[in-house]
Amino acid sequence: MANQDFRICSESGLKVYKNAETLIKWNVIAALATLAVGGLMALLVALTRWPSVHLLGLTEYYRFLTAHGVDALLAWILFFEMALVYFASTVVLGTRFRGVVVGWISFALMLIGGALINVIIIMGRADVMFTSYAPLKADPLYYLGVILFAVGALIGFIMFFVNVVYAKRDGGFKRSLPLGSFGLAAASIIGVLTLAHGAGIFIPAFLWSLDFIGYIDPSAYRLVFWGLGHSSQQINVCAMVAVWYMTSAFVVGGKPVNEKLSRTAFVLYILFINLASEHHLLVDPVLSTWHKIVNTSYMMHLAVLASMIHAFAIPASIEVALRKQGFRSGLFEWFKKAPWGNPAFAAVALSILLFGFLGGITGVIFGTEQFNIIRHNTFAITGHFHGTVVAGTTIAFMGFTYLLIPCIFKRQLIWKGFAQIQPYLYAVGVAMLSIGMMSAGAFGVPRRHYDITFSGAPFSFTFDPAIDMFMSMMGVGALLAVAGGVLFILIGFGSMIWGKEVK
Amino acid sequence: MADDRHTEEMEAPGVFVLSLIFLAVFIVIWLAHLKWLMDIWGVQ
Repeated sequence: MANQDFRICSESGLKVYKNAETLIKWNVIAALATLAVGGLMALLVALTRWPSVHLLGLTEYYRFLTAHGVDALLAWILFFEMALVYFASTVVLGTRFRGVVVGWISFALMLIGGALINVIIIMGRADVMFTSYAPLKADPLYYLGVILFAVGALIGFIMFFVNVVYAKRDGGFKRSLPLGSFGLAAASIIGVLTLAHGAGIFIPAFLWSLDFIGYIDPSAYRLVFWGLGHSSQQINVCAMVAVWYMTSAFVVGGKPVNEKLSRTAFVLYILFINLASEHHLLVDPVLSTWHKIVNTSYMMHLAVLASMIHAFAIPASIEVALRKQGFRSGLFEWFKKAPWGNPAFAAVALSILLFGFLGGITGVIFGTEQFNIIRHNTFAITGHFHGTVVAGTTIAFMGFTYLLIPCIFKRQLIWKGFAQIQPYLYAVGVAMLSIGMMSAGAFGVPRRHYDITFSGAPFSFTFDPAIDMFMSMMGVGALLAVAGGVLFILIGFGSMIWGKEVK
Repeated sequence: MADDRHTEEMEAPGVFVLSLIFLAVFIVIWLAHLKWLMDIWGVQ
C-alpha cells in the first residue's frame, strides 16, 4: 500500500486515508446543510407555536413541521452518523475505506432521497406529518424518498461492519474494538434493525400509495413504524454516547475507569433500548396489557441502567485524566481547570448534563405506563425529545464537528471566540425551549397543534394563564437556540472554506 | 499483622461527590415538581 494514500493527523496522531477522508467530509457537509434547513423550519414552527407571534398559516405550519422533523431528526443526524461510523471504522482503526464506491452509492441515495422528501413536502403533496400514519396518504414519491434515504443509510451502517472486518484482518485492532468504535458498532446494529423496520413499513406504504395494495392496517403500520421512528432515536443515543467517549479521549486523554462495564452498557442498549418505543402504543387496543407493562415498567429500565453507567463513567474518565495531568488539589481542581473554553469539551459536558436531566429523566418518567397515558399527546413529550435529540445528540455532534474540522478538513476554526460561546448559547436556548414545552405540557397544551386558542372551534376552552409564560419561555429559548445554530453553521462552513490550513 | 482492608484510593472522588450533589438537587427538584403537578392537576 502506497504511503501517499494516507496522512497522519497532526491534531490527533490518527492515520487518515484519503478515500475515507473525502467520504467523511461530504457526509459532514450534507449534515450541516440539512441542519441549516431543519433549523430554519424549527424557527418558523416555534414562532407559530408561540401564541404571541403565531407566524404561519395553518397549511404552511403543518407542512414546515413535517419538513422540520425530516431534516432535523432524520437527515442531519443520519448524515452525521454516517460520518461517525466511517470515522470510527477507518480513521480510529488506522485503515482505508473498503468498497469506497459503495460508500458513495450510500451517500448518493441518502442525498437523492432526502432532497426528494423535502421537495414533495414543500410542494404540499405530503402533509402527513413525520409519522405519516395510515390511512393518511402522501404522494408515492414521498415514500420513495424515505425508502431511498433509509436504504442509503442501511448501506452505510453495513459498510461500517465491512471496514471493521478488514481492519481486524489488517491488524487495526487486536482483541476488541476501541470503545468509541465499539459504541458505534452498537449504534450500527441498532441502525440495521431500525432501517429494516423502515423497509418493512415504507415499502408496503409506497405500494399502497400507488394503489398496488388496497389497504394497510393502521395498527400494524403504527407498530412497525415505531420500530423505525423511535428506534432511530436509539441509534442517536448510542452514537452520542460513543461521541462522549471519543471526545473525552481526544480532548483530555480520558480512558474509561472500567472499560468492560462501559462495553456491557452498550450491549444493554442493543438488547433493551428499542423497547422504549412501546410508549407510542400504550393506548393501542391490539396489544395486550402484559406486553405494555413488561416493556414500559421493566425492560426499559435495563436501557436506563446503561445510560446511568455511561453518565458516571465518562465524567469519571475525565476526572482521572485531568488528575493525571496534575490537577490533583482537593476534590474539584480538575473541574475548575477542565478545558471549558474548548467548544468540543464544553459541548460534551453540556450534552451529558442536559441529556441526563432534561431528556433522560423525563424519558424514564414519561415512558412509564401510568404517566404516559396522561402526558403522551401533550407538549411535554415534545419537550422531552428536544431534551434528548437536540440538547443531547445535536450538541454532542456539534462538539465533535469542532474536532473533525482540523482533523478531517485540515482547517483551523474561524471565529474562535464565537466558537467558545456557541455550545453554551445553544444549550441555554434548548434548555429553555425544552423546559418551556414540558411545563406547558403539564397544563395539557397539546403537541403539534396549530392553534391552542382553538379559535373558531364549536366549544371554547381556555388553558391556565400560566401557559403564556411557558410558551414564551419556549419561544425565547427557540430564538436563542436558532442563534446558536446559525453560529455553528457559519463557523462550520466558514472554517471549511476560509479556515487556515492545518499542516 | 498487615491491614488487609481495601485501602486503594478512589480514582474519581470529585465525580462521586458531584453525583451526590446532583442526586440531592434532583430529589429536591423532583419533589417540588411533584407538588406543583398535584396542585395544577387538583390532586388531593
